[in-house]
Amino acid sequence: MATKPTQDLDQKTLVIEDTESALNAPVRVKEAHPIIYPLSLPETEERKATPAVGQSASRPDARLHGLGQTKYIDDIKFPNMIYAKVLRSAKAHAKIISIDTSEAEAMPGVYATLTGKEIPTNTFGPTFQDQPVLSDTVVRHRGDGVAAVAAVSEQVAQEALKKIKVVYEDLPVILDPEEALKDEVLIHPPKSNIYTSKVIKKGDVEKGLAESDHIFTNRYKTQFQEHVPIEPHASIALWDGNGRVTLWSSLGRITLGREDMSRTLNLPQSKIRMIGTIVGGNFGGKNEITNEPILALLSKKTGRPVKCTYTREDEFVSSTIRHPFIMDFTTGVNKEGKILARKIKMILDGGAYCSWTGTTIGKGSILAAGPYNIDNLHVESYAVYTNKTTTGAMRGFGAPQVCFAYESQMDEIAKTLGIDPLEIRLRNAFREGSLSPTSQTLHSVVVEESLLQAAEAFGWNRS
Amino acid sequence: MLVELKVNGEKRSADVPPETTLLKFLREYLDLTGAKLGCDVGDCGTCTVIVDGISVNSCIMLAAKANGSEVTTIEGLATTSELHPLQKSFEELGALQCGFCGTGMLMSAKQLLDENPDPTDFEIRDALAGNLCRCTGYTKIIEAIKDAAKNMRAA
Repeated sequence: MATKPTQDLDQKTLVIEDTESALNAPVRVKEAHPIIYPLSLPETEERKATPAVGQSASRPDARLHGLGQTKYIDDIKFPNMIYAKVLRSAKAHAKIISIDTSEAEAMPGVYATLTGKEIPTNTFGPTFQDQPVLSDTVVRHRGDGVAAVAAVSEQVAQEALKKIKVVYEDLPVILDPEEALKDEVLIHPPKSNIYTSKVIKKGDVEKGLAESDHIFTNRYKTQFQEHVPIEPHASIALWDGNGRVTLWSSLGRITLGREDMSRTLNLPQSKIRMIGTIVGGNFGGKNEITNEPILALLSKKTGRPVKCTYTREDEFVSSTIRHPFIMDFTTGVNKEGKILARKIKMILDGGAYCSWTGTTIGKGSILAAGPYNIDNLHVESYAVYTNKTTTGAMRGFGAPQVCFAYESQMDEIAKTLGIDPLEIRLRNAFREGSLSPTSQTLHSVVVEESLLQAAEAFGWNRS
Repeated sequence: MLVELKVNGEKRSADVPPETTLLKFLREYLDLTGAKLGCDVGDCGTCTVIVDGISVNSCIMLAAKANGSEVTTIEGLATTSELHPLQKSFEELGALQCGFCGTGMLMSAKQLLDENPDPTDFEIRDALAGNLCRCTGYTKIIEAIKDAAKNMRAA
């Protein structure tokens, strides 16, 4: 049963006594901005009676953020901690003939080096385990790590990377996803470059197109996009004397990360402790492990805590990015602009490894028709490997890419038919009870209301 | 080499390699980790501190260059009993999301308000031109700076 607050919050000033902590002085809550106080939430009658909706609230962690006291991974250090750096591939696609770390290891200040051969299970990945932690036989893009160094300082580690000798044998490089589709050069032989696909069928698309008055065929492309969290990836590993490893990591999914750690290190999960702290921007880019197994093994080798903070270059070259899409949209409409059929073919540039492509291709395909009632639909999507930066999760998992395509084509159609762009959307929009492309009955549909409110708000001229 | 500074009103010194940046000096030698390392090339502004009244990217300033200077970091803004009005407004108005750019934003904002107690929107945007927020929380940050400026003028 819903209860109403006894008094209107806007009409008075609340004084909340925080008795929990002597450090927290009483908080005077301003009229317009009731505050959720950090750490201990005040349990007043008003709060209990009032649902959160409609109230302004500040983040509980904002106090420490503002004071500069939040501890992100790079703010943490341990006695005798050493620093790791990863050597990135010099080639986009090549066989590794040999890796010689002896000169780097001999450098003063260097504690240990690590190559892929030393990693118990040298593969990981949130969908398929197709990605090496450190490449040991083949490099598939320039961001692949080939060796790591732990040294007394970041600078010494960086210098030591230059002493590592890697002999490569060039392989043909595939950069164009449409070329990759042909499977003439395989990036993960013997597997096809098409590593995942999705088909969605609804109604009879050919019949729908045949009955249409106008057919629009357009190609839309989107580009790579790096998350660029202001906090670069960072982690610290400490292998203790009892064979347990603790990781402090900027990783956003620590339980999933622990599975990957367990697999790569061949260590039971009970011996792995993953500690996630506050993350300085994730946006999907910190959803899987990166160099955590490397740091764990370097810590095991040296008996010291090992930290690695990505440089901005590491971040761009090595961390995952957003999938570029190539989207071919063929849409049939009648004279009134009602969509009768839509046929979509999409190619997702997956880069060198799968990462979160499974989620991206699913969501992208399901949403590709847009929030419009289309009885006859055919969506066909392929994700292909290329010798480029690995694409993975990024805000929306494919939804922004397809939105760019279907809304762009909506404008094309409106322009050609001389229909107002808002009107054509209203004529096609999902309504209460509409069926989604996968025939799910939709509830609480407010596309029309949202469009009209937005048009009103920014003064769209309907004339 | 020996670098001596006055940080947040306190005399601090450390013997550091000559290539040490001011950011590294503050974070690693003085344990003042409020200024963050974001890009290490002076683009993102999360390392912003105030040196002799001027906001600088501490990741591209050598510690030696700041020798003898007065440095204010985020740790010097609040007292034990009170937040700086900027910190208060940032917190109350939702200007801190992941928080990683926040300390740099606050330092740029502080230098602006030290010089100009009643800045226009344009002046605020101009002062924040060197600070990137990837959560894209700029609107709230600008609102918070205006709110703090108003409170500081009234005080």
